[in-house]
Amino acid sequence: MTDIHALAGAYVLDAVDDVERAAFVRHLAGCESCALELAEFHETAARLADPTWSVPPPALRTSVLAEMRRTPQERQGPVGRAARGRAGGWRRRAAVAAAAVLLVGGAGTATWTVQEQRVRDARTEAGAARDEAGRIRAVLAAPDAVVRTGAVPAGGRLTVVASPSRNEGVALLDGLTVPAAGRAYQLWLIDGATATSAGVLPAGRGGGSTLLSGVRGKGLLGVTEEPAGGSARPTMTPLVAVALA
Amino acid sequence: MTEGDSAGDVPGRSRLHAVPPAAPDPRAETDGLLRAVARGDEAAFERLYDIVSPRVYGLARRVLRDPAQAEEVAQEVLVEVWRTAARFDPAKGSATAWVFTIAHRRAVDRVRSEQAGAERTRRVAAGSVETPYDEVAEEAAARLERQQVRHCLDVLTEMQREAITLAYYGGHSYREVAGLLGTALPTVKTRMRDGLIRLRDCLGVEFSR
Repeated sequence: MTDIHALAGAYVLDAVDDVERAAFVRHLAGCESCALELAEFHETAARLADPTWSVPPPALRTSVLAEMRRTPQERQGPVGRAARGRAGGWRRRAAVAAAAVLLVGGAGTATWTVQEQRVRDARTEAGAARDEAGRIRAVLAAPDAVVRTGAVPAGGRLTVVASPSRNEGVALLDGLTVPAAGRAYQLWLIDGATATSAGVLPAGRGGGSTLLSGVRGKGLLGVTEEPAGGSARPTMTPLVAVALA
Repeated sequence: MTEGDSAGDVPGRSRLHAVPPAAPDPRAETDGLLRAVARGDEAAFERLYDIVSPRVYGLARRVLRDPAQAEEVAQEVLVEVWRTAARFDPAKGSATAWVFTIAHRRAVDRVRSEQAGAERTRRVAAGSVETPYDEVAEEAAARLERQQVRHCLDVLTEMQREAITLAYYGGHSYREVAGLLGTALPTVKTRMRDGLIRLRDCLGVEFSR
């Protein structure tokens, strides 16, 4: 079972973020045996709504029926139906999700490893995760968000979504060669000759993603390989760098 | 809901028909209704509303802990059901699963939106408890289903139950659940998946194409 497949339960319970959801949907597309399990999980999770049964306010019926009568329905011909992928009709395809699919690209393993490093204070972490997930979603949904990717010559890819208006971005590294023992990949915001650390992946990981703050006015995002834990300044020419605007 | 049961007993007849009529297969009924809705059948939508709205509203209220927001979300969900009914494909699952997948997702989206999140945090921090909607009715078949789900939740291990209920009813991401329970992320993912498997087997959910 792959790492991403372990998310099946969390996915069905809507307990994943947009990028993980997109990664999981992508995983599903190539996993025949997952489709049946997922269908059963959806049926199971839906039953959890049973005990919440509660009489809605009577006014709800009136207003829903009124809105129904003035709401045109989507029409879906047989072509559209066939063209839709497996389970495609199950989820609303928010623009955010579309952006996330773009972001994830070929990576089946978008894990928030950078964030996982910080599991300490439970409350702070829960709040920070919600905050970060919200900010990531906001970046992906920002009207001015720009997506750039760059290939690492030795294999792997850096993808960046940057929103100048929010002054934030999201970086995703995937498929890089696993660094040697005691080494890790580090991200840098590069402005002319100045490089500011934008996060360090855990040692031994060839992929991960993180939220970037302060992207406005910065020219590039670069990646170097550094001692585990990161360096104060890059010790090598970036393996890959992409423009932020 | 109980018609002709108490009032106006006909002598010699009223007690002879105590056996309830065979319940219609709810899945077949809702599947058929949703397909009719997809064809623009307004009467079918009204009937479907009556079947699913107490759970759509109840679920939204459970996740959002706020009757006013729950009402808004329930309205959005039910109108979305009308609008996108053509996307329902019975080969991929039941109509109720389709509806509650939309409902849960909407409720969770709302709870995670920054505004609602802050509001909820404030409310939880203030220690206020939700005020139950004062009129909670019960209906026999639904009650049996609810009992079955409660029974099956009891079959889960304590840790599986916590992980699933915090996510589904609490609207928490698995990361938040891990934080709340002080548990490693992979463990939480495993508990959610294993819990769903056990729940599926207990509920006898089978997926037939």
